[in-house]
Formats: sequence, structure tokens, C-alpha cells
Amino acid sequence: MARKALLISPELCIGCRGCQTACKGWNQLPAEKTKNTGSSENPPDLTPIVYNKIRYVEVPSEKDPVRWLFVSQRCMHCDDAGCMKICPAPGALYKTKEGAVAYNKEKCIGCKLCVAGCPFNVPRYDAKDKISKCNLCEDRITAGLEPACAKTCPTGAIKYGERDSLLGGAKKAGFAKVYGDTDLGGLGSIYAFKDSPKLYGMEEKPQIPESIVFWHKVLKPLAYWGVGGAVAASLIHYVVIGPHKDDEEVKKDG
Amino acid sequence: MANMIRKANAFEIFNHWVLAISCFILALTGYAFLFHLEQMNAIFGSFAQMKVVHNYAGIAFAGSLAITIFFYLPESLHITGDDFKWLAMAGGYLSKHPHTPPMGKLNTGQKLFYILLLIFGIAISVSGFVIWLMPGVKKYILLSHLAHNIAFDFIVIAVPAHMYLATLANPGTLRIMLSGTVPVEWARKRHEKWVREMGY
Amino acid sequence: MTNHWVDVKNADVILVMGANPAENHPISMKWIMRAREKGAKLIVVDPRFTRTATRADIYAPLRSGTDIAFLGGMIKYILDNNLYFKEYVAHYTNASFLVNPDFKGPGELNGLFSGYDEKTRKYDKKTWSIQMDEKGLPKKDPALKDPNCVFQLLKKHYSRYTLDKVSSITGTPKEKLVEVYKTYASTGKPNRVGTELYAMGWTQHTVGTQNIRTMAIIQLLLGNIGMAGGGVNAMRGESNVQGSTDYGLLFHILPGYLPVPSASVADLKTYIEKFTPKTKDPKSVNWWGNRGKYITSYLKAIYGNHATKENGFAYEYLPKLDEGMNASWLSLFDQMYKGKFEGFFAWGQNPACSGSNAGKVRKAMANVKWMVNVNLFDNETASFWKGPGINPKEIQTEVFMLPCASSVEKEGSISNSSRLAQWRYKAIGPVGQSKTDSDIMNELYFRVKKLYQKQGGKFPEPILKLTWNYGDKDASGKVKEVDTHKVAKEINGYYLEELVDKKATPPKVLGKKGGLCTNFVTLQADGTTSCGNWLYSGSYTMKDDKVVNMMARRGKKDIGGLGMYPEWAWCWPLNRRIIYNRASVDLDGKPWDPKRAVIKWNPNKLDPKTKKTAPGWDGDVPDGPAPPYSNEKAGKYPFIMRADGMGALFGPGLADGPFPEHYEALECPLQANLLSKQRINPAIKLFFDQKGGLKEDVFLSCDMRFPYVATTYRVSEHWQTGVLTRHLPWQAELQPQQFVEMSEELAKEKAIRNGDKVTVKSARGEVWAIAMVTNRFKPFKIANSTVHQVGLPYHFGWQFPEDGSGGDSANLLTPTIGDANTMIPETKAFMVNVEKA
Ligand code: SF4
Ligand code: SF4
Ligand code: SF4
Repeated sequence: MARKALLISPELCIGCRGCQTACKGWNQLPAEKTKNTGSSENPPDLTPIVYNKIRYVEVPSEKDPVRWLFVSQRCMHCDDAGCMKICPAPGALYKTKEGAVAYNKEKCIGCKLCVAGCPFNVPRYDAKDKISKCNLCEDRITAGLEPACAKTCPTGAIKYGERDSLLGGAKKAGFAKVYGDTDLGGLGSIYAFKDSPKLYGMEEKPQIPESIVFWHKVLKPLAYWGVGGAVAASLIHYVVIGPHKDDEEVKKDG
Repeated sequence: MANMIRKANAFEIFNHWVLAISCFILALTGYAFLFHLEQMNAIFGSFAQMKVVHNYAGIAFAGSLAITIFFYLPESLHITGDDFKWLAMAGGYLSKHPHTPPMGKLNTGQKLFYILLLIFGIAISVSGFVIWLMPGVKKYILLSHLAHNIAFDFIVIAVPAHMYLATLANPGTLRIMLSGTVPVEWARKRHEKWVREMGY
Repeated sequence: MTNHWVDVKNADVILVMGANPAENHPISMKWIMRAREKGAKLIVVDPRFTRTATRADIYAPLRSGTDIAFLGGMIKYILDNNLYFKEYVAHYTNASFLVNPDFKGPGELNGLFSGYDEKTRKYDKKTWSIQMDEKGLPKKDPALKDPNCVFQLLKKHYSRYTLDKVSSITGTPKEKLVEVYKTYASTGKPNRVGTELYAMGWTQHTVGTQNIRTMAIIQLLLGNIGMAGGGVNAMRGESNVQGSTDYGLLFHILPGYLPVPSASVADLKTYIEKFTPKTKDPKSVNWWGNRGKYITSYLKAIYGNHATKENGFAYEYLPKLDEGMNASWLSLFDQMYKGKFEGFFAWGQNPACSGSNAGKVRKAMANVKWMVNVNLFDNETASFWKGPGINPKEIQTEVFMLPCASSVEKEGSISNSSRLAQWRYKAIGPVGQSKTDSDIMNELYFRVKKLYQKQGGKFPEPILKLTWNYGDKDASGKVKEVDTHKVAKEINGYYLEELVDKKATPPKVLGKKGGLCTNFVTLQADGTTSCGNWLYSGSYTMKDDKVVNMMARRGKKDIGGLGMYPEWAWCWPLNRRIIYNRASVDLDGKPWDPKRAVIKWNPNKLDPKTKKTAPGWDGDVPDGPAPPYSNEKAGKYPFIMRADGMGALFGPGLADGPFPEHYEALECPLQANLLSKQRINPAIKLFFDQKGGLKEDVFLSCDMRFPYVATTYRVSEHWQTGVLTRHLPWQAELQPQQFVEMSEELAKEKAIRNGDKVTVKSARGEVWAIAMVTNRFKPFKIANSTVHQVGLPYHFGWQFPEDGSGGDSANLLTPTIGDANTMIPETKAFMVNVEKA
């Protein structure tokens, strides 16, 4: 199956947050108790019960009092997913055939390593210490529906479809930066930006932490080969040199 | 019956086995985590339960490691010229008829092994506890994750070597960790200085 | 809406003014963005940089309450630069009509039109008239040169709205004004179309109706009415508010915009005489000429067999207004405050929060004996007696709560802003003891009826003789449960006798006795048809002898890619998707813009049944089947609802002037109107004047104590007073608390930091709010001084969340004053102070 993706276009987003509510509705997530802290942006961050939120970013503008950008924040469904890479529990995080990085709370062991592995600071933990995040509405997409947020979005700021064709469309439309085209093996949440990703509050070059890459490339194989090597070396030593013998024994033998 | 000399007391032996067994469990589960060995579910039921075992085995490991300090650290830090000679000839392990310099209670290899084990053991314990108990801070987690894995690699390589050297490579050694006593003559050949110190 | 939601995608320029669709009508943004993708320009004019403004090509700030000045400047710009659509203006509007030479405008009369009476605050409209020739037709100057012709008067009137003047009134920088004017005026060409989207930002002013009139003038000048992608489009504030006005949920209209008679209109004959406009012009359709048919059919629908020719179709049963009586919202609560009411049904509303000057409204409710609150939830109205500052011991009002079903728990039609009536189905039954609104009314009706039967009473007939055939009846004759389909059919209307077209040879049967009416064209004034609402006649009808609920249709066929979808549900009138569509074609019936052909005259059209050519219109349902304007014998004018058939640049129908004139809001930051000596709209009813009034109705304009302009609004996360959305944790999570937006400049002056708790105070009340200090508001330069504006939503109320963390209604601040024509309260411009709490 061709890889699916979400194309998020802040240029089309009107910050209505229908997607935020739709996500909660579909995933039956309870509400956070929030406060107004001088911004309409709420809740302040992703939480175990907030999989998707619109960040309200204000940047200076030449022609208007301000430039107000609305940027959806949620799991990026990385192809080379740092969370999956570091996760010690098999089956806790997995990829669906559509390319979604989904999870199984039953298999999650609550070690929270994925938080460290994620370049986008996405995974959160519920009260039972199980991973919680956007799963691209796995249950919907595997049934051939589009994710709840995309379905709700009135303007098409969140579009769901075949990744290649979404990418092609965004590139043809002449966006300055199609974010996530190649980063991390290609993201499953692609962004069509008019300006540099920084302006939208996104990392220019998202990367899995270097230590994890080193671990993955060096330490992990070493653990595999190292133990084998130690055993093999002992065996060889035993055969070639043999066990330690005291002088008398050596003489006796002699 | 030859004359026996006590090389390890009961507590030391007990502690050693606590360390050894916890280490074994940790390594086993560690491998399971590292390589997603789902076969382990047959033993632990689930990875979540295995994590609990891993965490508590970690406490045993760290605790017994700490106790070893009293038994081995002073001796391990007691380094003499003979130790360098010993090192220079790699403990004689590369020749069939070695003539190693006289050793104290621990030979140089044992000292070295212990010091490294202590360092990496502390590293793996501390980083393990950080991952377990302080999961919020990404910087610490990444550092701990790295340290945990480096130490793991050392341990899974060094411990089999230690096991080989303490058993097949040096017949008669294992009994130190079983009964705690060895024949004086056996000991004299290996730990000459110590046997002398003990007045034999 | 003259047009419809999807049609916005056809526009070249979209002017959003008096509205904030991204927040209040998010779905409309789908079509706005579609238009933009095709290259359309979006202009947003708003005091505040809204979420809609973020998507705009041009954003222009203006001070609340100065829209007429802003748009008046645009009219001047269009006329000065000859950017109007000449043929359209000449033929489809009353530009060439000659006005009574005695008519004088505000330029000559210090801000007043001729005929003003200061005592009554009313105009005698005698001079606001058109000169008639001997045939009874309007006198015209087709060259538009006569100084008394509408066109020249318009020009004269708006010549005062110079850029400098407009900018100093509105606070909009001159370059922005020109940019907006230029862009919008570019649609004065036949192949360019502009649309306007407005909402409460235009209506809720003392000049609300005239705000819209000003835009109507612009649209007529630019030839944008009747066109796909054009029109003046009201985005209604609730999903079925269109339906509620269509069905006369206002004191002055019956269903289908039939006027409610006053006591002096004694009988049906007088009614028809009075409310049926006349024309001698054979080319004018003058659709309201059919008034008699609609009122008669309406009476037949509601009084059935009790409405006979002999008793004037029971006209006397209709409730009448006292002469000159105004029973709009503000007056109702004023009367309630003064103890004139015994009881009060608060049905699906929350006046304690939604009513302008809510403090007065809350006090008023203490002056009724009983109150029935029909709602989904308890609210600030039902619980007013334990509200802030009220001592329950002192309240005698007995409050009853009738829980009602939500929209998903019942079946029926809903009419959206596109005039589109869509049938909705019931998802689940009413929860608990709740009932649908119609079943509650049913219960009430039969109980009240029983009381009248038993006790008689002053005038029992209107109740006893009401037709109420909405479902199976029990032994006592009571309808057990209302069947919405029966109501819908009654609205559509029935043929009470066989209807025969006698003019045809041989005479043709148009409708069988007892059958559902085809549409309102077949309604009769002789009592042989019944129809609950003529506008909706045709919505539930017969097709090939089968009953069809047109509103339940879901066909997706389109016409010319314009998004009209004629088979999707049904819209009034007659399923016409764009009204005044005869103005979208030239005199010969050819579309002004062939790429956006709404209708097109087709001389070779084939009759699908007879297969013979029968010339007719292609496309949307035209405004009448008559051939195009230029057809000498049968051609008709496009504006069929107007007696003279012309779009009204000169509109003498309104209370406050035939041309819109800028007046300041009741409370404004200025000592005087910069345009004339008349500060406020001279035709508004003042609740508080020089002679005084209730202290609750006090207003303070240009007063040091209340130096900042304020406006109220809604956010996308909440709905109206928030009774539905505050109770929905997902929505409350997004917008938990009352806030007030203000500029960084003002915040600095007042030492307020973002997120601080502040108090907002007006002459009438105060609320606390969280300060949102933002660049989205900027101070205005008004007449060389700096004027600050703040804004706050009115979604919150003390009753929920229970811990009071939400705050209270912003309507505690708003004034008791209404528009001169509609009496809609002025909640979009008033004066406040803001202090750190
Ligand atoms: S629903 Fe669409 S337009 Fe609304 S906030 Fe979400 S992404 Fe933006
Ligand atoms: S964004 Fe983070 S959580 Fe989502 S797939 Fe990528 S690494 Fe995993
Ligand atoms: S894809 Fe589903 S889970 Fe993810 S943000 Fe959208 S609605 Fe929420």
C-alpha cells in the first residue's frame, strides 16, 4: 500500500480548532482544566489527552499589525521514528501499513524512553504511565476513513491522502518549504510552509539525537557480537593454550 | 586432606552470587529489551513485568556491587611493581608455561576486572535509576541511555571472560566462591604474597 | 443571503466587514479559501485583526461604528472614478428616477434629512418621494444628469465623504482606504464580481440597517446583485435563525414576512389594501402585489374551516399591535422591568446573558410572577434569582424548568443562511423527561385550550378555533405527539378546492382538491388554498402524484460548476439559489459574465414533454419566467420584489433616511460627529434622554470615566451565551474564561500585563476579564487624537462553570439602545474603562 500522510497547510488554517475538538471526540479524550493566560491558545501543550493542538504563533508583519500563524502540533509519523527506534518493548510502537506510527498501550512498559527518542517532543504519558499521542486515527484509516481532524477541517488545512500525491501537490503549489519531505526518512505529517520552518516554531533540521544513532549503530551491534566474541575467545584460549597448570603438574605432564 | 586456607567468607560468597545472579537476570532482560526478544514473555509474562524484574534486579545488583567495595576495593587499589610485570606478560595466559610474578590476594587481572566492573557497574546502576525514576528530563535520559548501554556492552563482554577465567581457565578457582577455602599450596602458587602474609 | 454559502467561491473579491467568518462561520472559510485559490482577493475590515484577517489579502482597521463613513467613502470613490457598472445602474436601479425637489439631505440640513420632527424623533417622509408622470410612472432622466435624479443626489450626498474625512472618522489610514476601495471597485466590470459577507458586526448598531443599505448601494453600483459570486450576504448567527425570521419569530412579522397588523387595520380588506404595493408599470412584476393571496392562504392554514369568506377569513382572530407599538427585545424587557408582564417564557434563550444591558434584564425578571425556562440546561436566566448581587429572599418569581430535546433528538427542517431548508433526521430520542419543542407546545396548547373551554375568557376564539392537526389524537381530542411532517405539509399548503386554470383552453386542472400545493404561484386569495408560509410553498409537494419532501433531497447535480446544486434540499423562493438573478443578465437575457452564467435566455429551448421549442431560461430558477427586459411585450424588470422593479439606490423605506448617513454610536469617544452637527442617529428611540430615564438605561458618551471604545463578539469555540458550549468540556478547555483584548499601547498606559485579571466597566455594569494584550488591536488616530478600543466575547456567565471561573456576561456592559429600523441592540460599539483588578 502506498504510504499515506497528512498535509498541513498553515496558510489555509484559520485557527478554528475544529480539529482539536474532533480529535478529542473521536478518540474519546477527556478535557483538560485550563485557564486563560492571555492567549486563545489552549491547552498550553500536548498532554496525554491532547493529541493535537493548534499553536498560535505571532510574528511581525510589514503590512499588518501582526502576522498570526496557526500551526498544528501532533505526531509527525516519522518514517525513521526516533520513538520506535529507542523503544525497548516490542509491539508497543508499530507502523501501520499506511505508515502511521501507532501504539498499543498494553504493550507499552512505561519506560518513557520514546520521549527522549522523539525529535518533536510528542509522546506523553497517561495516568497509567502508558504512551499517548496521535496515532493518525489508526482505527479510522485502517477502515478506509480519513482521520477525524482532516475530516473536520473546514478549509483543507489538514488533508489526508497518498503521501506522494500530497507532496507533489504542495510542491507544485510553490510553497517555499515542504517540511518533512525527506527529514527522518520522510515525515507522515508534512507541512507546506511559506517561510522558513523556524518562523512557524519548527526545528529547521529535525534529527534523532546523535547518542541514539550511535547507540543504534555501534553499541547495539557490539552487545550482540561482543558477548559472542567473549565466549569464542575463551573457547579458543582453552583449546589453544589450555587451562592454567601449576609447575608440578606441568612437570608431571612433561 | 591438604592444608586449607580461607580466601572468602560466607557473606562475601553470598554477596558474590547475589551480584552474579542479578547481573545475569539484568543481562538477559537487557538483551530482551535491546533486541525485542519476545520469547522472554514465556518467562516473564510480559515486557511490562519483565521491566519490573529488571528494575528490582537492578537494586540487588547495585546493592551487592556496593558491598563488594569493602571486600575488593582496597586490595584492588593496592598496586605494586609486580602488577606491572604481571601485566607485561598478560598474566601468563598467552603461554603454556608461564612464570608469573608473585601476587597478593588478588592478581592484577582480578584487580583490573574489579575496578572496571565497579566503574561500569556504578554507571549502569546510576543511569538505570535515572531512566527508571527521572523520566522527565530528556537530556539526562539521553545521557543515561548512552551510559547504560556502554556499560552494558562492557559487562556482557567482561563477565563471560571472568567466568571463563574463574572456571575452565583456572581449575580450582571456583571453589573460592563455593566453600571459600583453597589448599594452601594451590594458593601459594597463585597468591604467594598473600599466603605469606597469612603466615603460612 | 441573496446568494448562498457555496457561491462565495465564485467571487473575485470578497469583502468581509461586520463579520468574522473564520471564528463565527468557519465553514464559510472553505468557500472563501476556494475563491482565493483561484486568485480572488479577500478584504477584511474590522477593528481587530481577527482570525479571518490572518487570511486576508488586505486588512483595514476601523473604529467600531463607523462603517457607513468607510463605505460612504467607497461610494464616492466609485462615482468619482467612474467605476460603476453603467448599463446595470442605468437600467436596473432607480438611479435615473427624479426625486421630489423638496427633498433635502444631511449636507444641507446639518445631518438631517428633510421632514424631521425633533419631538417624536421621526421623519415625515413626504419629501422622500419619486416624481410621477401623468401615467403614474416614475419620471426619469436616463442621462443621469438632472440634479434631482437619484444618481446626482447620491453623488451629492457622498461628496462629503472625502478620504480625509473618512479617515479621521474611522481611523483607517488613507492608503488602506484607497487600497480597499480600488480593489473592491474593480468588480464594477461585467466580468468581475464582488461579494460582501456580514453578520452582527453590521446589524448590532444604531445604524445597523443603514450599514447594510450602504453596501446594497455599492453592490448595485458595481452590478454585483444577482450575479454568481456577488450579492449582500448575511451570515446568520445560528443554524436556523434564517428559519426563525422566515417564520415570523419577531413581533412585527407573520410567517413569510407578512406584516403584523396594528389595531387600526381593522379588516382583511384594509390589510390587503394597506400592505399591497401597487405599480402602473407593466414591466414591473411587483411580486408583493400577491400579498392578498398569501395572507388569505395563511389565515386558511391556521383557522381552517373557521376562516370563511363571510368572516373575512377570521382576520379578526389575528393578534394586533397597538398603534405605534414596538414589541422588540429592548422594549419587552423595558416593559418587564416596569412590571407590565405577569409571566415569561424564556424559550431556547438566555436573556440574562444574551440581552443587551443584561443587568437590567436580570432585574426585569424579578418583576414577573412566573417564568418558564425551556432549555437543555439550567442557565443564568432560570437561576437569575440566585445570581450575583441578587438576594433570593427578595425574589418572588416562580421559575419552572422544562427540559427540551436537542437538535439531534428530533426530526425537521432547518433553514440556513443560504435560505436552504434541509431536512434533518432524528439520531436518538429525547433524553430523560425532555421533550421536543413541538411536543412542549402541543402540551401547552391543549392545556390552554382546555382552560379557555372551561372558563371562557375574554377572547377565546383565536385559541379554540386554531387548526391543530399535527398527529393522531386521543379520546379527548388532544394530539398525542406532533408529527413534524404534518407541520411541514401545512406550511407548504393545500388546495382546498380543485384548482383549474380557466385561461387555458381547454381549462387545465392545476391541483386536485386536498392535494399539496405545487408552489406559491398557485396560491389564491379566495380561500381555496391554505399555506402556512408562502415562501416555503413548494418545499413539501406533489411530483407525479407522489408526495415529495423536497427538503430531504440530496442530489449532487450542479449547474455550470457554480455550486448551486439545485437538487440538494430546497431553498426559498421556488428553489431559486441566487435571488434577483434576472439582474445577472443583460437586457436581452445574455449573462453579463458568460463564465458565471446564473441564468440565460434560450430562445430555442425545448419543452421536455412536448419536444416543441418553447423559449425560456436555462440555469437557476429565474425570478419569474417572463422573457428578458428588452422583450417589448412581456419583458420584465429584474427586481421583482420592488414595486418599481428597480434596485433602490434611493431607499425611502427606512426610518432614518433614503441614503445612509454616518452617525456616531450612542456612546462614542467623540464630542461631535465629524460629518455633521447630528451626533447620533436622529431616528432611534432613546430610553434615556435629557429628561432622564431609568438609571439602568444610562449612557455616557465622550466621558472621561469611560474613555475606550468597546465591542462584543463571539469566538469559534463557543456558541452564543455558551449554554451549550460551556457545558461541553472540550469547548471549555479551548476557551475557559472571559477575556478582554486590548492593544499593547493601552496596556502599557494602564500598567496591565498579558494574562492579568482586569475589570471592564461601563456606565451600566462591570465584568472581570483576563487581559489579552495583543498587537491585534491597535490604537486609532481619530481626528488627530488617539482612541483605544477593546473587545470581549459574551459567551460567559456566572452560573456555569459552577466555580465561577468563567466570568460573567459582557452584556452587563452593553447599552439599552437599538437600531432605528429593527431595534436590534447596539452591542458592537459602546464605551468602557479598563482597570487592573
Ligand atoms: S480545523 Fe483546520 S482550519 Fe481549523 S484549526 Fe484545525 S487545521 Fe486549522
Ligand atoms: S514525531 Fe516523535 S512520536 Fe511521532 S513518530 Fe516521530 S519520533 Fe515517534
Ligand atoms: S490523526 Fe486522529 S489522533 Fe491524530 S491528531 Fe488527527 S484526529 Fe487526533
